[in-house]
Amino acid sequence: MIRGFGMDTITLAGSLESKLGAIKAAGFDQVMLSARDIVGHPGGVQEAVAAVKASGLRPTGFQVLRDFEGLSGHLHDYKVDIAKAMLEMCAALNCKVLLACSSTSRHATQDLDLIARDLRKLAMLAVPLGIKVAFEGLSWGRTINEFTAAWDVVCRADAPNLGLGLDSFHVFAAKTPLDAIETLDPAMIFLVQLSDFMWHETPTFEERMTTARTFRVFPGEGVHSEPLADLVLRLDRLGYEGDYSFEVFNDDYQQLPLPMVAQRAQRSAIWLNEEVLHRTRPLPLGLAQRLNPPPFTALVHF
Amino acid sequence: MLSTQMVNREALPEAQNPLGLNGIEFIEYVTSRPQALGQALELMGFRPIARHRSREVVLYRQGSMNLIINAEADDARVSASAGDQPVISAVAFRVRDAKKAHVRCLELGAWDGPAHAQAMELNIPSIHGPGGSRFYFVDRYDEFSVFDIDFVLIPTVDSKPAALAGMSYFGLVQYIGLERSADWLAFYEQLLGFKPIPDEQRFGILPKGKLMRSPCQQFLWQLVEPDPRVEQRDTRENLQRIGIGVPDVPAAVALLKARGIEFVEAEQLHPDDRGALTQGILGSLSFELVHKNA
Repeated sequence: MIRGFGMDTITLAGSLESKLGAIKAAGFDQVMLSARDIVGHPGGVQEAVAAVKASGLRPTGFQVLRDFEGLSGHLHDYKVDIAKAMLEMCAALNCKVLLACSSTSRHATQDLDLIARDLRKLAMLAVPLGIKVAFEGLSWGRTINEFTAAWDVVCRADAPNLGLGLDSFHVFAAKTPLDAIETLDPAMIFLVQLSDFMWHETPTFEERMTTARTFRVFPGEGVHSEPLADLVLRLDRLGYEGDYSFEVFNDDYQQLPLPMVAQRAQRSAIWLNEEVLHRTRPLPLGLAQRLNPPPFTALVHF
Repeated sequence: MLSTQMVNREALPEAQNPLGLNGIEFIEYVTSRPQALGQALELMGFRPIARHRSREVVLYRQGSMNLIINAEADDARVSASAGDQPVISAVAFRVRDAKKAHVRCLELGAWDGPAHAQAMELNIPSIHGPGGSRFYFVDRYDEFSVFDIDFVLIPTVDSKPAALAGMSYFGLVQYIGLERSADWLAFYEQLLGFKPIPDEQRFGILPKGKLMRSPCQQFLWQLVEPDPRVEQRDTRENLQRIGIGVPDVPAAVALLKARGIEFVEAEQLHPDDRGALTQGILGSLSFELVHKNA
Protein backbone atom coordinates (compact mmCIF):
# COMPACT_ATOMS: atom_id res chain seq x y z
CA MET A 1 0.00 0.00 0.00
CA ILE A 2 1.21 3.49 -0.84
CA ARG A 3 0.59 5.64 2.22
CA GLY A 4 0.29 9.40 2.29
CA PHE A 5 -0.26 9.83 -1.46
CA GLY A 6 -3.45 9.50 -3.46
CA MET A 7 -4.71 9.91 -6.98
CA ASP A 8 -7.45 12.25 -8.13
CA THR A 9 -10.37 10.85 -10.09
CA ILE A 10 -10.10 13.81 -12.48
CA THR A 11 -6.94 12.30 -14.00
CA LEU A 12 -8.66 9.19 -15.26
CA ALA A 13 -11.27 8.53 -17.95
CA GLY A 14 -14.20 6.17 -17.54
CA SER A 15 -16.69 5.27 -14.85
CA LEU A 16 -16.25 6.00 -11.17
CA GLU A 17 -16.00 2.27 -10.42
CA SER A 18 -13.25 1.71 -12.97
CA LYS A 19 -11.32 4.74 -11.69
CA LEU A 20 -11.55 3.51 -8.10
CA GLY A 21 -10.53 0.01 -9.21
CA ALA A 22 -7.47 1.26 -11.12
CA ILE A 23 -6.37 3.50 -8.23
CA LYS A 24 -6.70 0.66 -5.76
CA ALA A 25 -4.95 -1.83 -8.04
CA ALA A 26 -1.97 0.55 -8.27
CA GLY A 27 -1.58 0.28 -4.49
CA PHE A 28 -3.11 3.58 -3.36
CA ASP A 29 -5.30 3.66 -0.26
CA GLN A 30 -6.91 7.07 -0.85
CA VAL A 31 -8.64 9.01 -3.58
CA MET A 32 -9.45 12.68 -4.15
CA LEU A 33 -13.06 12.75 -5.34
CA SER A 34 -14.71 15.18 -7.70
CA ALA A 35 -18.35 16.24 -7.55
CA ARG A 36 -18.67 15.39 -11.26
CA ASP A 37 -17.93 11.73 -10.54
CA ILE A 38 -20.67 11.64 -7.98
CA VAL A 39 -23.47 13.54 -9.70
CA GLY A 40 -22.57 12.07 -13.10
CA HIS A 41 -22.90 8.51 -11.87
CA PRO A 42 -25.59 6.69 -13.90
CA GLY A 43 -27.02 5.24 -10.67
CA GLY A 44 -27.22 8.66 -9.02
CA VAL A 45 -25.47 10.08 -5.98
CA GLN A 46 -26.46 7.20 -3.69
CA GLU A 47 -24.87 4.56 -5.88
CA ALA A 48 -21.77 6.69 -6.31
CA VAL A 49 -21.46 6.98 -2.54
CA ALA A 50 -21.90 3.20 -2.24
CA ALA A 51 -19.22 2.62 -4.88
CA VAL A 52 -16.73 4.78 -2.98
CA LYS A 53 -17.50 2.97 0.27
CA ALA A 54 -17.24 -0.44 -1.41
CA SER A 55 -13.83 0.47 -2.87
CA GLY A 56 -12.31 0.68 0.60
CA LEU A 57 -10.38 3.76 -0.52
CA ARG A 58 -10.30 6.62 1.96
CA PRO A 59 -11.51 9.90 0.48
CA THR A 60 -8.68 12.44 0.63
CA GLY A 61 -11.13 15.24 -0.06
CA PHE A 62 -13.89 16.50 -2.29
CA GLN A 63 -13.57 19.06 -5.07
CA VAL A 64 -14.37 21.72 -5.91
CA LEU A 65 -16.29 24.75 -4.73
CA ARG A 66 -15.49 27.69 -7.03
CA ASP A 67 -15.95 31.45 -6.84
CA PHE A 68 -17.60 31.37 -3.42
CA GLU A 69 -16.14 34.37 -1.68
CA GLY A 70 -16.63 38.10 -2.14
CA LEU A 71 -20.09 38.11 -3.71
CA SER A 72 -23.10 40.01 -2.42
CA GLY A 73 -26.88 39.96 -2.66
CA HIS A 74 -28.46 37.27 -4.81
CA LEU A 75 -25.06 36.08 -6.13
CA HIS A 76 -23.94 35.36 -2.58
CA ASP A 77 -27.20 33.56 -1.75
CA TYR A 78 -26.85 31.47 -4.89
CA LYS A 79 -23.31 30.47 -3.97
CA VAL A 80 -24.34 29.57 -0.42
CA ASP A 81 -26.88 27.14 -1.91
CA ILE A 82 -24.15 25.62 -4.09
CA ALA A 83 -21.79 25.37 -1.12
CA LYS A 84 -24.44 23.63 0.98
CA ALA A 85 -25.08 21.06 -1.76
CA MET A 86 -21.31 20.43 -2.05
CA LEU A 87 -20.99 20.07 1.73
CA GLU A 88 -23.86 17.58 1.84
CA MET A 89 -22.27 15.44 -0.87
CA CYS A 90 -18.92 15.71 0.87
CA ALA A 91 -20.50 14.48 4.12
CA ALA A 92 -22.37 11.65 2.36
CA LEU A 93 -19.02 10.42 1.04
CA ASN A 94 -17.50 10.65 4.51
CA CYS A 95 -14.98 13.13 3.09
CA LYS A 96 -13.40 15.27 5.76
CA VAL A 97 -12.05 18.02 3.48
CA LEU A 98 -13.85 20.25 0.97
CA LEU A 99 -11.59 22.06 -1.48
CA ALA A 100 -12.59 25.66 -2.23
CA CYS A 101 -10.73 27.63 -4.91
CA SER A 102 -10.20 31.37 -4.88
CA SER A 103 -12.61 33.41 -6.94
CA THR A 104 -11.95 34.42 -10.52
CA SER A 105 -15.10 36.50 -10.68
CA ARG A 106 -15.04 40.17 -11.60
CA HIS A 107 -18.28 40.52 -9.66
CA ALA A 108 -16.52 39.65 -6.40
CA THR A 109 -15.12 42.23 -4.03
CA GLN A 110 -11.36 42.52 -3.57
CA ASP A 111 -11.71 43.58 0.06
CA LEU A 112 -9.74 40.96 1.99
CA ASP A 113 -11.80 41.32 5.15
CA LEU A 114 -15.04 40.72 3.29
CA ILE A 115 -13.46 37.73 1.54
CA ALA A 116 -12.39 36.42 4.96
CA ARG A 117 -15.89 36.97 6.35
CA ASP A 118 -17.40 34.81 3.58
CA LEU A 119 -14.82 32.07 4.12
CA ARG A 120 -15.61 32.08 7.83
CA LYS A 121 -19.28 31.65 6.97
CA LEU A 122 -18.39 28.70 4.73
CA ALA A 123 -16.37 27.19 7.58
CA MET A 124 -19.32 27.58 10.00
CA LEU A 125 -21.63 25.88 7.49
CA ALA A 126 -19.15 22.99 7.45
CA VAL A 127 -18.92 22.58 11.26
CA PRO A 128 -22.08 20.54 11.91
CA LEU A 129 -21.11 18.20 9.07
CA GLY A 130 -17.63 17.60 10.48
CA ILE A 131 -15.92 19.01 7.39
CA LYS A 132 -12.77 21.11 7.06
CA VAL A 133 -12.48 23.62 4.24
CA ALA A 134 -9.17 23.84 2.37
CA PHE A 135 -8.93 27.21 0.63
CA GLU A 136 -6.65 27.26 -2.39
CA GLY A 137 -5.35 30.24 -4.34
CA LEU A 138 -5.76 29.58 -8.07
CA SER A 139 -2.86 31.12 -9.98
CA TRP A 140 -5.45 32.94 -12.09
CA GLY A 141 -7.60 33.98 -9.15
CA ARG A 142 -8.63 37.62 -9.42
CA THR A 143 -7.69 38.74 -5.92
CA ILE A 144 -6.16 35.65 -4.31
CA ASN A 145 -3.71 34.06 -6.74
CA GLU A 146 -0.80 32.97 -4.57
CA PHE A 147 -0.73 30.73 -1.50
CA THR A 148 0.65 33.60 0.54
CA ALA A 149 -2.47 35.67 -0.14
CA ALA A 150 -4.68 32.63 0.51
CA TRP A 151 -2.94 32.14 3.86
CA ASP A 152 -3.51 35.80 4.70
CA VAL A 153 -7.30 35.54 4.30
CA VAL A 154 -7.39 32.16 6.07
CA CYS A 155 -5.70 33.86 9.05
CA ARG A 156 -8.08 36.82 8.86
CA ALA A 157 -11.08 34.47 8.80
CA ASP A 158 -9.69 32.70 11.87
CA ALA A 159 -11.89 29.59 11.90
CA PRO A 160 -10.40 26.32 13.18
CA ASN A 161 -11.86 24.28 10.31
CA LEU A 162 -10.70 26.69 7.60
CA GLY A 163 -7.18 26.03 6.38
CA LEU A 164 -5.02 26.13 3.33
CA GLY A 165 -5.11 23.93 0.25
CA LEU A 166 -1.74 24.04 -1.46
CA ASP A 167 -1.38 23.09 -5.14
CA SER A 168 2.14 22.86 -6.50
CA PHE A 169 0.96 23.80 -9.99
CA HIS A 170 -0.27 27.20 -8.83
CA VAL A 171 2.83 27.75 -6.71
CA PHE A 172 5.11 27.24 -9.71
CA ALA A 173 2.86 28.95 -12.26
CA ALA A 174 2.71 32.06 -10.07
CA LYS A 175 6.41 31.69 -9.15
CA THR A 176 5.73 32.28 -5.47
CA PRO A 177 9.05 32.01 -3.57
CA LEU A 178 9.13 28.75 -1.61
CA ASP A 179 10.65 30.51 1.41
CA ALA A 180 7.10 31.63 2.24
CA ILE A 181 6.28 28.00 3.15
CA GLU A 182 8.02 28.69 6.45
CA THR A 183 5.37 31.24 7.40
CA LEU A 184 2.63 28.59 7.30
CA ASP A 185 1.23 26.65 10.24
CA PRO A 186 1.51 22.97 9.23
CA ALA A 187 -1.59 22.07 11.24
CA MET A 188 -3.61 24.52 9.13
CA ILE A 189 -2.58 23.02 5.78
CA PHE A 190 -5.53 20.73 5.12
CA LEU A 191 -4.49 19.38 1.72
CA VAL A 192 -1.48 19.41 -0.60
CA GLN A 193 -2.06 18.70 -4.28
CA LEU A 194 0.94 17.87 -6.40
CA SER A 195 1.50 17.98 -10.13
CA ASP A 196 4.24 18.94 -12.54
CA PHE A 197 4.03 20.47 -16.01
CA MET A 198 6.14 20.74 -19.14
CA TRP A 199 6.55 24.51 -19.61
CA HIS A 200 9.10 26.68 -17.87
CA GLU A 201 7.04 29.85 -18.11
CA THR A 202 3.31 30.51 -17.80
CA PRO A 203 3.24 34.30 -17.56
CA THR A 204 -0.38 34.94 -18.47
CA PHE A 205 -3.52 33.80 -16.69
CA GLU A 206 -4.66 32.34 -20.04
CA GLU A 207 -1.59 30.12 -20.32
CA ARG A 208 -1.87 29.05 -16.70
CA MET A 209 -5.49 28.05 -17.18
CA THR A 210 -4.88 26.06 -20.37
CA THR A 211 -1.87 24.27 -18.93
CA ALA A 212 -3.57 23.58 -15.61
CA ARG A 213 -6.64 22.11 -17.26
CA THR A 214 -5.07 20.02 -20.04
CA PHE A 215 -1.39 19.38 -19.61
CA ARG A 216 -0.29 18.69 -16.07
CA VAL A 217 1.81 15.59 -15.44
CA PHE A 218 2.65 13.55 -12.36
CA PRO A 219 5.38 14.78 -10.01
CA GLY A 220 8.72 13.90 -11.53
CA GLU A 221 7.43 13.85 -15.11
CA GLY A 222 7.73 17.55 -15.93
CA VAL A 223 10.30 20.31 -15.81
CA HIS A 224 9.57 21.38 -12.22
CA SER A 225 10.64 18.15 -10.53
CA GLU A 226 13.50 19.79 -8.68
CA PRO A 227 11.45 22.61 -7.13
CA LEU A 228 8.59 20.16 -6.53
CA ALA A 229 10.93 17.93 -4.53
CA ASP A 230 12.10 21.07 -2.73
CA LEU A 231 8.49 22.02 -1.95
CA VAL A 232 7.69 18.58 -0.53
CA LEU A 233 10.86 18.57 1.56
CA ARG A 234 10.09 22.04 2.93
CA LEU A 235 6.57 20.92 3.89
CA ASP A 236 8.03 17.84 5.52
CA ARG A 237 10.53 19.95 7.50
CA LEU A 238 7.74 22.33 8.50
CA GLY A 239 5.95 19.35 10.07
CA TYR A 240 3.19 18.79 7.54
CA GLU A 241 1.78 15.31 8.16
CA GLY A 242 -1.34 15.45 6.00
CA ASP A 243 -2.20 13.93 2.65
CA TYR A 244 -0.71 14.55 -0.77
CA SER A 245 -2.93 14.02 -3.78
CA PHE A 246 -1.96 14.07 -7.44
CA GLU A 247 -4.02 16.78 -9.11
CA VAL A 248 -3.13 15.90 -12.69
CA PHE A 249 -5.42 17.24 -15.39
CA ASN A 250 -4.04 15.86 -18.65
CA ASP A 251 -5.84 15.37 -21.96
CA ASP A 252 -3.47 12.56 -22.96
CA TYR A 253 -4.08 10.61 -19.76
CA GLN A 254 -7.78 10.85 -20.47
CA GLN A 255 -7.07 8.74 -23.60
CA LEU A 256 -4.91 6.06 -22.03
CA PRO A 257 -5.91 2.79 -20.37
CA LEU A 258 -6.54 3.40 -16.67
CA PRO A 259 -3.95 0.90 -15.37
CA MET A 260 -1.27 2.63 -17.45
CA VAL A 261 -2.04 6.04 -15.98
CA ALA A 262 -2.37 4.67 -12.46
CA GLN A 263 1.01 3.03 -12.86
CA ARG A 264 2.57 6.39 -13.73
CA ALA A 265 1.00 7.77 -10.55
CA GLN A 266 2.40 4.84 -8.63
CA ARG A 267 5.92 5.52 -9.89
CA SER A 268 5.52 9.14 -8.94
CA ALA A 269 4.49 8.18 -5.39
CA ILE A 270 7.44 5.84 -5.07
CA TRP A 271 9.80 8.53 -6.34
CA LEU A 272 8.49 11.03 -3.78
CA ASN A 273 8.49 8.48 -0.99
CA GLU A 274 11.89 6.95 -1.58
CA GLU A 275 13.98 9.40 -3.58
CA VAL A 276 12.66 12.68 -2.23
CA LEU A 277 11.46 12.04 1.32
CA HIS A 278 13.73 9.05 2.02
CA ARG A 279 10.93 7.58 4.07
CA THR A 280 11.98 4.45 5.85
CA ARG A 281 8.52 2.96 5.79
CA PRO A 282 8.88 0.11 3.31
CA LEU A 283 6.49 -0.22 0.40
CA PRO A 284 4.86 -3.63 0.25
CA LEU A 285 6.94 -6.50 -0.91
CA GLY A 286 6.77 -7.05 -4.61
CA LEU A 287 5.49 -3.59 -5.48
CA ALA A 288 8.92 -2.38 -6.52
CA GLN A 289 9.46 -5.50 -8.65
CA ARG A 290 6.08 -5.09 -10.30
CA LEU A 291 7.12 -1.73 -11.66
CA ASN A 292 7.40 -2.12 -15.35
CA PRO A 293 10.44 -0.71 -17.11
CA PRO A 294 11.58 1.89 -17.82
CA PRO A 295 12.80 2.75 -14.33
CA PHE A 296 11.15 5.90 -13.13
CA THR A 297 14.32 7.93 -12.92
CA ALA A 298 14.47 7.79 -16.72
CA LEU A 299 11.27 9.82 -16.82
CA VAL A 300 12.44 12.54 -14.55
CA HIS A 301 13.56 15.67 -16.34
CA PHE A 302 15.93 17.54 -14.12
CA MET B 1 -12.08 49.56 -3.39
CA LEU B 2 -15.42 50.82 -2.21
CA SER B 3 -17.36 48.45 -0.12
CA THR B 4 -21.12 48.44 0.20
CA GLN B 5 -20.72 47.56 3.88
CA MET B 6 -20.86 50.21 6.58
CA VAL B 7 -17.64 49.83 8.51
CA ASN B 8 -17.03 51.35 11.90
CA ARG B 9 -14.01 53.63 11.90
CA GLU B 10 -13.02 52.54 15.37
CA ALA B 11 -12.60 48.98 16.53
CA LEU B 12 -15.81 48.65 18.54
CA PRO B 13 -16.24 45.46 20.52
CA GLU B 14 -18.87 43.07 19.22
CA ALA B 15 -21.98 43.14 21.36
CA GLN B 16 -21.55 40.79 24.32
CA ASN B 17 -24.92 39.20 23.70
CA PRO B 18 -25.75 39.82 20.03
CA LEU B 19 -28.98 37.76 20.03
CA GLY B 20 -30.23 39.06 23.36
CA LEU B 21 -30.12 35.47 24.58
CA ASN B 22 -32.01 35.05 27.84
CA GLY B 23 -32.01 31.42 28.92
CA ILE B 24 -33.60 28.21 27.68
CA GLU B 25 -37.34 28.22 26.89
CA PHE B 26 -37.60 24.47 26.37
CA ILE B 27 -35.68 21.30 25.61
CA GLU B 28 -37.24 18.65 23.42
CA TYR B 29 -36.83 14.88 23.38
CA VAL B 30 -38.04 12.71 20.53
CA THR B 31 -39.02 9.22 21.45
CA SER B 32 -40.88 6.24 20.08
CA ARG B 33 -41.98 5.45 23.67
CA PRO B 34 -43.62 8.64 24.94
CA GLN B 35 -45.46 7.02 27.86
CA ALA B 36 -42.31 5.39 29.24
CA LEU B 37 -40.39 8.65 28.93
CA GLY B 38 -43.26 10.57 30.48
CA GLN B 39 -43.23 8.26 33.50
CA ALA B 40 -39.48 8.74 33.89
CA LEU B 41 -39.86 12.51 33.69
CA GLU B 42 -42.58 12.43 36.32
CA LEU B 43 -40.23 10.58 38.67
CA MET B 44 -37.81 13.44 38.09
CA GLY B 45 -40.52 15.87 39.15
CA PHE B 46 -41.83 17.04 35.76
CA ARG B 47 -45.60 17.23 35.29
CA PRO B 48 -47.55 16.94 32.04
CA ILE B 49 -49.11 20.34 31.40
CA ALA B 50 -50.38 20.62 27.86
CA ARG B 51 -50.80 18.80 24.55
CA HIS B 52 -49.95 20.14 21.12
CA ARG B 53 -53.01 20.99 19.00
CA SER B 54 -52.05 18.97 15.94
CA ARG B 55 -49.04 16.86 16.77
CA GLU B 56 -48.24 14.06 19.16
CA VAL B 57 -46.31 16.37 21.44
CA VAL B 58 -46.70 16.93 25.19
CA LEU B 59 -45.31 19.73 27.32
CA TYR B 60 -43.90 18.81 30.75
CA ARG B 61 -42.90 21.41 33.28
CA GLN B 62 -41.49 21.98 36.74
CA GLY B 63 -40.47 25.39 38.02
CA SER B 64 -38.73 27.27 35.21
CA MET B 65 -37.99 24.12 33.20
CA ASN B 66 -40.10 23.34 30.14
CA LEU B 67 -39.50 19.94 28.58
CA ILE B 68 -41.23 18.61 25.50
CA ILE B 69 -41.81 14.99 24.50
CA ASN B 70 -42.23 14.71 20.77
CA ALA B 71 -43.56 11.36 19.54
CA GLU B 72 -44.55 12.40 16.01
CA ALA B 73 -43.83 9.44 13.76
CA ASP B 74 -41.50 11.35 11.41
CA ASP B 75 -39.54 12.90 14.27
CA ALA B 76 -39.45 9.80 16.46
CA ARG B 77 -37.82 7.69 13.76
CA VAL B 78 -34.41 8.83 14.97
CA SER B 79 -35.26 7.52 18.43
CA ALA B 80 -36.53 4.20 17.06
CA SER B 81 -33.29 3.77 15.15
CA ALA B 82 -31.32 4.49 18.34
CA GLY B 83 -32.75 1.39 20.04
CA ASP B 84 -35.90 3.20 21.18
CA GLN B 85 -33.88 5.52 23.38
CA PRO B 86 -35.04 9.10 23.80
CA VAL B 87 -32.92 11.59 21.87
CA ILE B 88 -32.50 15.28 22.72
CA SER B 89 -33.75 16.73 19.47
CA ALA B 90 -34.03 20.46 20.11
CA VAL B 91 -33.18 23.30 22.44
CA ALA B 92 -35.19 26.52 22.26
CA PHE B 93 -33.33 29.66 23.25
CA ARG B 94 -35.09 32.74 24.53
CA VAL B 95 -33.93 35.72 22.47
CA ARG B 96 -34.78 39.40 22.11
CA ASP B 97 -36.15 39.06 18.56
CA ALA B 98 -36.54 35.58 17.12
CA LYS B 99 -36.60 36.67 13.49
CA LYS B 100 -33.52 38.86 13.84
CA ALA B 101 -31.67 36.13 15.74
CA HIS B 102 -32.53 33.64 13.02
CA VAL B 103 -31.46 35.93 10.17
CA ARG B 104 -28.23 36.81 11.93
CA CYS B 105 -27.32 33.15 12.44
CA LEU B 106 -28.06 32.34 8.79
CA GLU B 107 -25.84 35.24 7.70
CA LEU B 108 -23.03 33.88 9.84
CA GLY B 109 -23.22 30.34 8.46
CA ALA B 110 -26.01 28.41 10.19
CA TRP B 111 -28.22 25.96 8.30
CA ASP B 112 -31.89 26.87 8.25
CA GLY B 113 -34.14 24.40 10.05
CA PRO B 114 -37.31 23.17 8.33
CA ALA B 115 -40.63 24.80 9.14
CA HIS B 116 -43.53 22.52 9.91
CA ALA B 117 -46.21 24.74 11.38
CA GLN B 118 -49.82 23.89 10.57
CA ALA B 119 -52.53 26.47 10.00
CA MET B 120 -52.81 28.94 12.90
CA GLU B 121 -49.68 27.55 14.54
CA LEU B 122 -46.53 29.45 15.26
CA ASN B 123 -43.67 29.08 12.89
CA ILE B 124 -40.74 29.04 15.29
CA PRO B 125 -37.52 29.79 13.39
CA SER B 126 -34.71 27.30 13.87
CA ILE B 127 -31.20 26.37 12.78
CA HIS B 128 -29.40 23.04 12.67
CA GLY B 129 -27.53 21.96 15.78
CA PRO B 130 -25.31 18.92 16.22
CA GLY B 131 -26.32 15.47 15.01
CA GLY B 132 -29.67 16.33 13.45
CA SER B 133 -30.85 18.45 16.39
CA ARG B 134 -32.44 21.91 16.09
CA PHE B 135 -31.95 25.17 17.91
CA TYR B 136 -35.14 27.23 18.06
CA PHE B 137 -35.41 30.95 18.72
CA VAL B 138 -38.32 32.10 20.84
CA ASP B 139 -39.07 35.71 21.73
CA ARG B 140 -42.46 35.29 23.44
CA TYR B 141 -41.91 33.99 26.92
CA ASP B 142 -43.00 36.70 29.34
CA GLU B 143 -46.70 37.51 29.51
CA PHE B 144 -47.62 34.82 27.05
CA SER B 145 -45.63 32.00 25.52
CA VAL B 146 -45.44 29.83 22.43
CA PHE B 147 -47.24 27.17 24.44
CA ASP B 148 -50.33 29.40 24.76
CA ILE B 149 -50.91 29.19 21.02
CA ASP B 150 -49.85 25.72 19.91
CA PHE B 151 -50.79 23.76 23.03
CA VAL B 152 -54.03 22.97 24.87
CA LEU B 153 -53.84 22.74 28.66
CA ILE B 154 -54.57 19.36 30.16
CA PRO B 155 -57.74 19.98 32.24
CA THR B 156 -57.42 20.32 36.01
CA VAL B 157 -53.63 20.30 36.16
CA ASP B 158 -51.62 23.03 37.80
CA SER B 159 -49.89 24.68 34.85
CA LYS B 160 -47.10 26.05 37.01
CA PRO B 161 -45.92 23.24 39.28
CA ALA B 162 -43.07 24.17 41.60
CA ALA B 163 -39.70 22.60 40.99
CA LEU B 164 -38.57 19.67 43.13
CA ALA B 165 -35.53 20.48 45.25
CA GLY B 166 -35.21 23.88 43.54
CA MET B 167 -34.22 22.33 40.24
CA SER B 168 -33.55 24.51 37.17
CA TYR B 169 -31.69 24.06 33.90
CA PHE B 170 -27.93 24.17 34.40
CA GLY B 171 -26.84 23.33 30.85
CA LEU B 172 -26.40 20.82 28.06
CA VAL B 173 -23.71 18.22 27.46
CA GLN B 174 -22.83 17.67 23.81
CA TYR B 175 -20.77 14.74 22.59
CA ILE B 176 -18.48 15.64 19.68
CA GLY B 177 -16.01 13.85 17.42
CA LEU B 178 -12.30 13.52 18.05
CA GLU B 179 -10.37 16.82 17.77
CA ARG B 180 -13.59 18.72 17.14
CA SER B 181 -13.55 20.97 20.22
CA ALA B 182 -12.11 23.98 18.43
CA ASP B 183 -14.66 23.71 15.60
CA TRP B 184 -17.65 23.59 17.94
CA LEU B 185 -16.27 26.30 20.22
CA ALA B 186 -16.00 28.57 17.17
CA PHE B 187 -19.52 27.59 16.07
CA TYR B 188 -21.15 28.52 19.39
CA GLU B 189 -19.04 31.62 19.83
CA GLN B 190 -19.78 32.89 16.32
CA LEU B 191 -23.49 32.09 16.17
CA LEU B 192 -24.75 32.36 19.75
CA GLY B 193 -22.08 34.41 21.51
CA PHE B 194 -21.05 31.67 23.99
CA LYS B 195 -17.69 32.21 25.69
CA PRO B 196 -15.27 29.49 26.76
CA ILE B 197 -14.65 28.96 30.47
CA PRO B 198 -11.06 28.29 31.60
CA ASP B 199 -10.19 24.58 31.98
CA GLU B 200 -9.49 25.04 35.71
CA GLN B 201 -13.09 26.09 36.34
CA ARG B 202 -15.42 23.12 36.47
CA PHE B 203 -18.79 22.20 37.98
CA GLY B 204 -20.34 18.92 39.03
CA ILE B 205 -18.74 15.48 39.02
CA LEU B 206 -18.21 15.06 35.27
CA PRO B 207 -15.74 17.79 34.37
CA LYS B 208 -14.37 16.37 31.10
CA GLY B 209 -14.03 18.37 27.91
CA LYS B 210 -14.53 22.04 27.13
CA LEU B 211 -17.03 24.29 28.85
CA MET B 212 -18.76 27.44 27.59
CA ARG B 213 -21.11 29.92 29.20
CA SER B 214 -24.07 31.52 27.46
CA PRO B 215 -23.83 35.32 27.12
CA CYS B 216 -26.94 35.64 29.34
CA GLN B 217 -24.95 33.84 32.08
CA GLN B 218 -27.91 31.52 32.63
CA PHE B 219 -26.62 28.16 31.39
CA LEU B 220 -23.48 26.26 30.40
CA TRP B 221 -22.61 24.14 27.42
CA GLN B 222 -20.12 21.28 27.69
CA LEU B 223 -18.34 19.65 24.73
CA VAL B 224 -16.98 16.14 25.28
CA GLU B 225 -14.66 14.41 22.81
CA PRO B 226 -14.19 10.63 22.85
CA ASP B 227 -11.14 9.35 24.68
CA PRO B 228 -8.73 8.62 21.82
CA ARG B 229 -7.24 5.67 23.68
CA VAL B 230 -10.48 3.75 23.97
CA GLU B 231 -13.04 5.22 21.61
CA GLN B 232 -11.16 5.64 18.32
CA ARG B 233 -14.15 4.83 16.14
CA ASP B 234 -16.72 6.77 18.11
CA THR B 235 -17.43 9.74 15.87
CA ARG B 236 -20.98 10.31 17.12
CA GLU B 237 -22.03 13.91 17.70
CA ASN B 238 -25.21 14.57 19.64
CA LEU B 239 -26.79 16.38 22.56
CA GLN B 240 -26.10 13.79 25.23
CA ARG B 241 -27.78 14.92 28.43
CA ILE B 242 -29.33 17.75 30.38
CA GLY B 243 -27.64 19.24 33.41
CA ILE B 244 -29.97 20.34 36.20
CA GLY B 245 -28.82 22.79 38.84
CA VAL B 246 -29.84 22.32 42.48
CA PRO B 247 -28.92 24.35 45.57
CA ASP B 248 -28.37 21.24 47.71
CA VAL B 249 -27.22 18.12 45.84
CA PRO B 250 -27.46 15.56 48.69
CA ALA B 251 -30.98 16.75 49.57
CA ALA B 252 -32.05 16.54 45.91
CA VAL B 253 -30.52 13.06 45.58
CA ALA B 254 -32.36 11.86 48.69
CA LEU B 255 -35.65 13.30 47.42
CA LEU B 256 -35.29 11.75 43.97
CA LYS B 257 -34.17 8.39 45.38
CA ALA B 258 -37.32 8.31 47.47
CA ARG B 259 -39.30 8.81 44.23
CA GLY B 260 -37.53 5.85 42.60
CA ILE B 261 -34.69 7.51 40.68
CA GLU B 262 -31.40 5.64 40.97
CA PHE B 263 -27.98 7.25 40.85
CA VAL B 264 -24.60 6.05 39.62
CA GLU B 265 -22.80 5.01 42.81
CA ALA B 266 -19.40 3.75 41.67
CA GLU B 267 -16.08 4.32 43.35
CA GLN B 268 -14.95 6.80 40.69
CA LEU B 269 -18.35 8.40 40.19
CA HIS B 270 -20.94 8.83 42.91
CA PRO B 271 -23.16 11.58 44.32
CA ASP B 272 -21.38 14.22 46.38
CA ASP B 273 -21.85 17.87 47.24
CA ARG B 274 -20.83 18.96 43.73
CA GLY B 275 -23.19 16.78 41.75
CA ALA B 276 -24.67 13.40 40.85
CA LEU B 277 -25.60 11.37 37.77
CA THR B 278 -28.81 9.37 37.45
CA GLN B 279 -28.62 5.75 36.32
CA GLY B 280 -29.65 5.18 32.73
CA ILE B 281 -33.42 5.40 32.38
CA LEU B 282 -34.87 3.76 29.23
CA GLY B 283 -31.35 2.86 28.11
CA SER B 284 -28.92 5.76 28.11
CA LEU B 285 -31.18 8.63 29.19
CA SER B 286 -29.71 10.25 32.25
CA PHE B 287 -29.82 13.54 34.08
CA GLU B 288 -26.90 15.20 35.77
CA LEU B 289 -27.41 17.18 38.95
CA VAL B 290 -24.97 20.01 39.53
CA HIS B 291 -24.58 22.22 42.55
CA LYS B 292 -25.84 25.72 41.80
CA ASN B 293 -26.23 28.52 44.27
CA ALA B 294 -29.88 29.37 44.69
